[in-house]
Amino acid sequence: MTQNKIEVSGLNFAYAVQPVLKDLSFTLEPAAIGLLGPNGSGKTTLLRALLGHLDNWSGKISFMGRDISVDGRSARKQIGWMPERGRILPGFSGVGMVAYLGELGGMPASDALQRAHEVLNFVGLADQRYRQADTYSQGMGQRLKLAQALVHDPQWLLLDEPTSGLDPQGRTAMLKLIRDLANDHNFGIILSTHLLSDVREVCSEILVLRDGNLLQHTKIESTVGKGTDLFSVEGTGETADFILALENAGATVEVIKEVITVKLDSAQAVILQAAQQTNFSLRRMEPVTDSVEDVFFKLVDA
Amino acid sequence: MPVYQRGYRNWDQSTKKGAPPWWAIARRGISSPLGSRRFMLLLMAALIPAVVKGGFLWFSWKMGDMGNLLTGGWTDITAVGFHHFLNTQMLFVAIVTTLVGSDLIAGDKREGGLALYLSRPLSVRDYVFGKGLINLFYYFMVTLFPALAICIFGYLVTRGSTGMDMLLIIPLQTVLYCLFVGTVLSLILLAISAMGTRKVFVSLWWVLLLLGTEAISQVFFFINPWLRAISFTEMIHNTGHLFYGTETSILISPYASLAIVTAWCVGAILVLRKKIQPVVVVS
Repeated sequence: MTQNKIEVSGLNFAYAVQPVLKDLSFTLEPAAIGLLGPNGSGKTTLLRALLGHLDNWSGKISFMGRDISVDGRSARKQIGWMPERGRILPGFSGVGMVAYLGELGGMPASDALQRAHEVLNFVGLADQRYRQADTYSQGMGQRLKLAQALVHDPQWLLLDEPTSGLDPQGRTAMLKLIRDLANDHNFGIILSTHLLSDVREVCSEILVLRDGNLLQHTKIESTVGKGTDLFSVEGTGETADFILALENAGATVEVIKEVITVKLDSAQAVILQAAQQTNFSLRRMEPVTDSVEDVFFKLVDA
Repeated sequence: MPVYQRGYRNWDQSTKKGAPPWWAIARRGISSPLGSRRFMLLLMAALIPAVVKGGFLWFSWKMGDMGNLLTGGWTDITAVGFHHFLNTQMLFVAIVTTLVGSDLIAGDKREGGLALYLSRPLSVRDYVFGKGLINLFYYFMVTLFPALAICIFGYLVTRGSTGMDMLLIIPLQTVLYCLFVGTVLSLILLAISAMGTRKVFVSLWWVLLLLGTEAISQVFFFINPWLRAISFTEMIHNTGHLFYGTETSILISPYASLAIVTAWCVGAILVLRKKIQPVVVVS
């Protein structure tokens, strides 16, 4: 639905004199979107800007058609925010805190309490819901923060390092929850993280920031795995002749041990032709694809 | 279907509307301390002066001239007497508001909860108003509510001979005065709470403001009577003469006291505006 879009144009923000977000413009449709960038690239600040938490910013942020600088409150009704650090209100049980934050999200008290039970069950904290929230382990705390972000049934979730500090099991469970929300319940999710593997497992789009600049906003499938001009080849025969034939056809060839890497447009046909010409027996030929990591490092290191 | 068998379900937002966020904050903040038995005992102890005053009223009415033996304003059922009663409650006000209010914002800042509040559809004004109502309620618990109970009790004991004074005018004056003082105290306590993250720090400054400035002004009063203006509680008490229409006993006019208290409030509002931010910029 196009109504659920987040539109950002010309967003600039500086802490004191230090620019943090520089002329960012993008449009996000509901999907699982990985917000990537090195430390200090402005990821958390961008999430804060989307929440309307920043002062003295310029540009325009429109959230589901509502200008956040004019109608931030109704925009925030449709946002669930899972912060990175701390942020467990003291003196509450798990269910009490989630229900309270549901009420603050505009829900009637009875609905908020019922929803609190439901979302705590969904995130796997049903057994611990009456325990004091400030005694939760870190993993339980992360789940609780996800539950409070979900309680008022928002359209978008802004998740700031949701797997931070989790053990492998906890991380897998958290990513599964997020994937379920994105795939089965049509949430728009912005997943801010520096863990590329989290993005690879959950997201369909990436938004890459560096030094407050937007380097790329693209669908992962259109970028990752795009490597049809690069092939890895192994085989037996006159390797030197085979390489010469490839180079004569215009390919860039690199040999590491017995693995020959060939870079050329339409390389597959050229490799087969060169192998036939030189009687080189191909044992293996497969495209070398870019991973999320490759894309990220290419962009950030550029 | 039981909760544990449900997956994620959307909430039907077309049902009834929720309460305003400030009300949710106030309700939670008011009900939370009531779970403590010690706090309930303290609240009951704060009612003792009202019970004593009621007893004295009854005694003086029943004993006729013998009642004149009771002094110190306890049997006074005029505006002056009620103004005096509210002033004597200041110690309980200091204790109760310190326990209830000192961590209201400081706790949220310490735990990073402020940003969580402000990620909801509520404004800073809603947040401050909700938190302020908590302070106001407990201020009323130890001042306004007992004072109104005395009014009703006094009217009944004197069998209506006090007339409209006891039934309407003094209660009205008391409500207005308590509303004014409660608002002032709430604002300033919230501002102090917003300035720190530690409950001890906030409590110390609050008690120093309420009781410490009074002690200091008592010392400096001998040097210059105008230095009574140092006392925060004396300035608040002095404004009471405007509400009750009584004569002040110090050199400073009630209007000057009102101006001083207003300046305190303006300062508190400025502090709250500066300190209640979802994002803290560390330069």
